[in-house]
Amino acid sequence: MSRRSFFQQVSGGIYGAALTCLLAQDFRSGPGLLAAEGPGNRPSDLKPRQPHFTPRARSVIHLFMNGGPSQMDLFDPKPILDQEHGRQYFDKIAGEVENPQSAGALMRSPFKFKQHSQCGMWVSEALPHLSKQVDDIALIRSMHTTNLTHEPAVYLIQSGKMGPGRPTLGAWVVYGLGSECQNLPAYVVLDDPRGLPVNGVENWQAGFLPPIFQGTRFRSTGSPVLNLRPDMDRPAEVARVERELLARLDRLHQRQRPGQPNLEARIASYELAARMQLAATDALDISKESAAIQEMYGVGREPTDSYGRRCLIARRLVERGVRFVQLYINGQIWDNHAALATDLRAACERTDQPIAALLRDLKERGLFASTLVVWGGEFGRLPIAQLPPDKDERKAGRDHNKNAFSSWMAGAGIKGGTTYGATDELGLAAVENRVSVPDWHATILHLLGLHHDQLFFEQNGLKEKLTGVNEAQVVRGILA
Amino acid sequence: MVSRLSALLFLFLALRLAAAGQAAIRAGDSGDMGENAAGAPRVTQHQVLPILLRRCTVCHGSHRQEGGLDLRAKAAMLRGGKLGPVIVPGKPEESLIIEKLRSGQMPPRDRLVEASVKPIEPAEIELIARWIAAGAPEVVLEPDVATATPDPLVTDKEREFWAFRPPLPAAVPSARDAGRARNPIDAFILEKLEQVGLSLSPEADRSTLMRRAYFDLTGLPPEPAEVQAFLANRDPDAYENMIDRLLSSPRLGERWGRYWLDLAGYADSEGKREQDLPRPHAWRYRDYVIQSLNADKPYDRFLLEQVAGDELADYESAPEIHQETYDNLVATGFLRMAPDATWANITGYVPDRLEVIADEIDVLGSAVLGLTLKCARCHDHKFDPLPQRDYYRLADIFKGAYDEYDWLKPDVRPGLGPVSQDALGGRHLPYVTTAERRAWEARDAKVRQELDALKAMKPADKKESEEIEGRMRALEAQRLPEPRIQALWDRGEPSPTYIYRRGDPLSPGLLVGPGVPAVLTDGKTPFAVKPPWPGAKKTGRRLALARWLTRPEHPLTARVAVNRLWRHHFGTGIVKTLDNFGKAGAPPTHPELLDWLAREFVSQGWSLKAMHRLMMTSSTYRQSSAVTADGEKLDPDNALYSRRPLARLDAEALYDSLLLIAGRLDENRFGRADPVQVRPDGLVTPAGTARGWRRLIYVQQSRKQIPTHLETFDFPPMNPNCVERRDSTVVPQALHLMNNGMVYSLAEQFAARVSRAVGTDPAKRLEMVYWIALSRPPSAEEERLGMEALDHLADRWNEHFAAAGKPDHDAAGLSALAAFCHAIMNSAGFLYVD
Repeated sequence: MSRRSFFQQVSGGIYGAALTCLLAQDFRSGPGLLAAEGPGNRPSDLKPRQPHFTPRARSVIHLFMNGGPSQMDLFDPKPILDQEHGRQYFDKIAGEVENPQSAGALMRSPFKFKQHSQCGMWVSEALPHLSKQVDDIALIRSMHTTNLTHEPAVYLIQSGKMGPGRPTLGAWVVYGLGSECQNLPAYVVLDDPRGLPVNGVENWQAGFLPPIFQGTRFRSTGSPVLNLRPDMDRPAEVARVERELLARLDRLHQRQRPGQPNLEARIASYELAARMQLAATDALDISKESAAIQEMYGVGREPTDSYGRRCLIARRLVERGVRFVQLYINGQIWDNHAALATDLRAACERTDQPIAALLRDLKERGLFASTLVVWGGEFGRLPIAQLPPDKDERKAGRDHNKNAFSSWMAGAGIKGGTTYGATDELGLAAVENRVSVPDWHATILHLLGLHHDQLFFEQNGLKEKLTGVNEAQVVRGILA
Repeated sequence: MVSRLSALLFLFLALRLAAAGQAAIRAGDSGDMGENAAGAPRVTQHQVLPILLRRCTVCHGSHRQEGGLDLRAKAAMLRGGKLGPVIVPGKPEESLIIEKLRSGQMPPRDRLVEASVKPIEPAEIELIARWIAAGAPEVVLEPDVATATPDPLVTDKEREFWAFRPPLPAAVPSARDAGRARNPIDAFILEKLEQVGLSLSPEADRSTLMRRAYFDLTGLPPEPAEVQAFLANRDPDAYENMIDRLLSSPRLGERWGRYWLDLAGYADSEGKREQDLPRPHAWRYRDYVIQSLNADKPYDRFLLEQVAGDELADYESAPEIHQETYDNLVATGFLRMAPDATWANITGYVPDRLEVIADEIDVLGSAVLGLTLKCARCHDHKFDPLPQRDYYRLADIFKGAYDEYDWLKPDVRPGLGPVSQDALGGRHLPYVTTAERRAWEARDAKVRQELDALKAMKPADKKESEEIEGRMRALEAQRLPEPRIQALWDRGEPSPTYIYRRGDPLSPGLLVGPGVPAVLTDGKTPFAVKPPWPGAKKTGRRLALARWLTRPEHPLTARVAVNRLWRHHFGTGIVKTLDNFGKAGAPPTHPELLDWLAREFVSQGWSLKAMHRLMMTSSTYRQSSAVTADGEKLDPDNALYSRRPLARLDAEALYDSLLLIAGRLDENRFGRADPVQVRPDGLVTPAGTARGWRRLIYVQQSRKQIPTHLETFDFPPMNPNCVERRDSTVVPQALHLMNNGMVYSLAEQFAARVSRAVGTDPAKRLEMVYWIALSRPPSAEEERLGMEALDHLADRWNEHFAAAGKPDHDAAGLSALAAFCHAIMNSAGFLYVD
C-alpha cells in the first residue's frame, strides 16, 4: 500500500463512509448505538421497544405554553364575569394570590366567545384559526395543579414533581419506547431562539434515567445543535483527513483492547455524530417545503414566522420517526399579569395560525392518526383583575391560578370535538371531572401504549414513576 | 415479627395520643397510655402551638414581636402585647386573639404572601378557642428521645444487619500466590480470585502506571520529562516514591476536592428559580475543601468542622479570628449547598423550607452515612429500620440552624431585584480572619480616602469634572465587597419538632427531641446534648451529632468513606451503591476487606492520604486493564477486581488536561470563581484569565449556566448532590470535541507548543505529541499512520494556501500539526485511562 493510500479515497474508511449514508437505515436488529451504560436489562439505548399494549400514537408533539394561558379568555367562557365585573372578590381567595397588593375586582374577558364547527365548542375570538379545527381537538377545562409559581408548576407538569432532578415526560416516553429513527435524537426540543423557558434546560432533562433519554435541543435557525457544525474555518478536505485519522487511531486502540464495550460505543457515537450532522440539517431544512405549505404555517411573515418554523420542523421530525418533539415559545408570553387584552391577543397571533396549520398538515399527510398533539401550560389564571400600580383598568391582567386551567389534545386516539370537565361559575377552580397533572401524564402515556404504573425505573429498591406515588386516572372521556 | 408489630402498635398509639393530647407521653410510661386519665384536658398547647407557629409567630415570635406580642408560649400570651393579654383562660369570647382571628384582622390578609404564610383555617381558629375555653391547659410533654429504656421501634435483631454493626476485625487471609500480595488488600482480593481459579492480572507497564496514578491523584497527566525520568529510574521504590510525590502535590486537593464538592452539592447559585441568585461567598467553602485535603486533615476532623464548625469555638466574642475559627465556619457551608428558592416569599412557605432541610438531610445521609434517610420523611423506611421518628429526631438536631418557623432567607437586595446582598447578613457571617478583614479595611479605607479627596476637588471646567468622575468610577470599581462567609449556625432557640405525618406540616404528630438513627446505636443510650461552651447561645445539637458520627466504632462513617475512595481507585465500590448501605443497597463483594479498610482508616488517624497510598501501592491497583478470556468468563463484571477497569476521563480531568497539554493551564489557585461567557445559542464557555484558563473547579458553577463542556461530559445537576457520576457515551461529546472552537484553538496551541519544543521535523513533532498527550512514544503503526496523516494534511493546507494566493510551507506544516493534535485530543487513547 502506498504511503498515502489510507487518506486518499474521498469517502473511504469508517467515519467517511458514515457521512455518505443512510437516512433510512434500519437499526432495529442492530446493537445499541449510543448507550454504553445501564445495568442489567434496563433500557439504555434508543432501539424501538414494544409498548405495554397496542398504542394509538407513535409520536407526540408537545406544544408547551409556558406562562399560564388564561382559560377564561381562550377556552372557558364565564358569562357571569360580565355581570359581576367590578365586584370585589380578593378576600375570598387571599392566600391564593401571588401579588395581593395588585389584586383587583372580578374582571370580564375582553374577548368574545362563539361556538364553532360541528361540535359547537366555545372558543374565544382570539383564536380564529384553531376555531376552524375544533372538531379535531379534545378540550379539557378541568385541569388543576398544586403550586401557583412558575418554576414549581413547570417542574410538575414536565416531570411529575415540583422540583428539579426528575426525568421529564419526553424522557420517560423515549425510555419506554426508544425511537424509530437512528439518525436523529429520539426526543427533540425546539426552543425559541429568543430565550429559554422557565427552568431552562431542566425542562427536557433525563433526571435519574440514563442521559441518552434527555431531550436534544434543535435550534430552528443556524446550527441546530450546539457544536453540530465546526466552529473553525478550515478546508473540508482537512476535516475529512482528520476524521479518517481519528477513526483509524480509534480502531487501532480498540483492537489492542478486546472486550471493552465502551470503546465500541464510543466509535459508534462518532459515527452517529457524523450522520446526525446530515440528518439534522436535512430535517431542519424547511426550504424543501412548498411555498403553499410555508404560507399555511405563516413562515416568512411576522408575527408567525418563528413559531411557524418550529411547527413545520416538528412535522418534518415526526415524519422521520422522531418519538417526542417539544416546542417552546420564549419569555412566558402567556404570563399576562398586565395588558391582557393586547398581550394575550399578541400571544395568540404568534401561535394560532401555525398550530392550526400543523393540525391540518398532519391530517393531509396521514400523520394525524399516529401523532398526538398536546397543547397546554403549567397553570391558569384568576377571574379577578391584576392591576398596575396606577390602578388603570385598561392595563389589567390576571394573576396565576393553580386551581383551574385548560389544555387540549388532538390526533392519535383522541375524540375530536370533545369538551371535557368544567370549572365553577367564575372559572376559579375545576369542579367537574377534575384532571390532575398525573392524570394528564397517565393519559399521554396511555395513548402511547404505556401504562403509567408499569413504566418505572428502579433505584434504591423503589420503582420511580412519572406519576410518582399519586393515584392517576387515564382521562377516558377524551379518548376515541 | 411480633416485636415489630408491637412496636408499630406503640407508635400508632403514641401518635394518636399526641394528636389528641390526652396524656403525657414518656417512654416507659405506657401503662396509662390506653386510657384517658381523669380530668385530662382534651386540647393542650401541643395542638395550638403548631397552628401559631404556622400562622403567627413569624411576626409574633422570637425575632419579630409586632405589637410587643410573642405567641410562642402560654405565659407570653397571658402577658400579651401593647393591647394587653391576648388570652383569657376559660373565656374565648373575651380573648383578643380569637376576636382578631375570627374577624379576619389577623393574620393580615394583604401581608400573608410577604410573610410566606397561608391563611388560617376556621377549624384552626375553633381549636384555639376550644383550648382557651378549657382554661388553656398546658401539659408537660417530654419530647420523644432515646433513653436508657430499650427502644420499642428498632429491635436488636434489626441491628444485626452487617452495615449497622461496627466493622469487625478481619484476619488477613494468606493467598496461594503470596508473591503477588504486596499488602493486605491483595490478600483479600486474591482469596476471592483464587476461589474461582483466577489470579491478579499482570502488572501494567510503567508508563501506563504512571499515567494512571497521575490522573487518579491529580486529574492531570505527567509531563514528558517526568515520564522519561520515571522510566529510567531503576530504584525498586521508584513507584512508591512517585505516589508519595503526588500525594504532596497541591493538585491533589483540586482532584479529590471535586469529588467532595459533588457530595456536598456545591454550586455558586441558589437555583430553583429563574433568577438563580448568585452565592457570592460559596467559593470559600470550595477552597476550604481543597486545602483540607491537601493538608490531609483527618477525616473525622473534616466532618466535625463541616457538620458543627459553628459549635466548636466561640467566634462571636473572640477578640481575634484565627485561621482555625475561620475554617470552622467556612466548613459549615457544607450544609448550605442545597438548591434554595426561599429567598422569595412566594417560594418561601413552610413546605418550601422543608424541602431545603430535607435536601440537607439527604446530603448527610447519602454522602456521609450511606443511608437513604429521605425515605423516612413521610413514613417509616420501607427497607431499613429507620422509623419516621428518627428522621424527625435528626430534623430536630438541625433545628437550631434550620427552623422552618424561624427561617433565615438567602439575601435579596430590596428594590434592586434578585441580587445577593451582603449588608443584611442573612446567611453570611462576617468572621473572616482578622488579618483578612484588616487588609480589606485598609484597602477600602484607602480607596474611600482617595474618593473623598476627588469629591472635594473643585473642577475648573466640564472636561476636568468628567475626568474626576471617571477616576471616581474607576476607584469604585476597585472596591471589593465586604468579605463574608456563607455559613450555617445554631441560633439557640429552635421551635419544637413534631413528626409530620405523611410528611405534611399540617398534620403534626408526636413531639420529638434530637437524636440519631436508633439502629446505629445500642438503643438504650440517651443522645447527650449540651451547649458547646458555658453561656453559649447554641444548642450544641449538631456538635453532638458530629461527635457521634466521628466515633471510631461508628458502623458507617469509616466504611462509607473508604468505600468511596475504593470506588475512585478501582472503578466500583466494594458496596456498589455508594449512597446506600441499607438492605436495598448492594451487599459488599468483599465484606472482610471493607471492614479491614475501615478499621485501618481509623487506626491511621483517619488519614485519607494513608488510604490512597495503601490502595495505590497494592498489586490490585497496579494490574493491567487488558480483558483476558479467563477474566471475561470468570469475572465478567470485574466484581472480583481481576483487572483494572478502563476509565474515561471525567469532565474536569479532560478539560484540565486539554489546557495542560496545550500549555494554557493557569495554575493560580483559590479565590473567587472565574466567570463564564454565554453565547446566544446557549454555549457556555469559561472566560479565562490573563494567562489562559484555570482548572474547572475554579470556574463559576451557576446552576443555570453550567459550562457546556461540563454538562456534555456528565457533570451532574446538583439536586441536591451527586454521589456517583454517570459515565455516558453520547453524541454531543463527539460533537463537542470535534467541532467546538475552544477545543480547536487548544489544539492549535498544543501544536505551537510542540513546534517550539522540537522544531519543524514531522517525525520529532509526532513523537513529542505522543509524549505530551499520551505519556508514551508512538508505536510503529501509529508512527506510520501519523506520518502519513501529517504529510497528507500538509498537502491539503498547502493547496489551500496556494489557492488563496499565499503559499506558506511552514504555516501549512503547523496547521497540519494542529489538525493532528486535534485528532489526538479526540482519540480514545487520550480520553481513556488504562
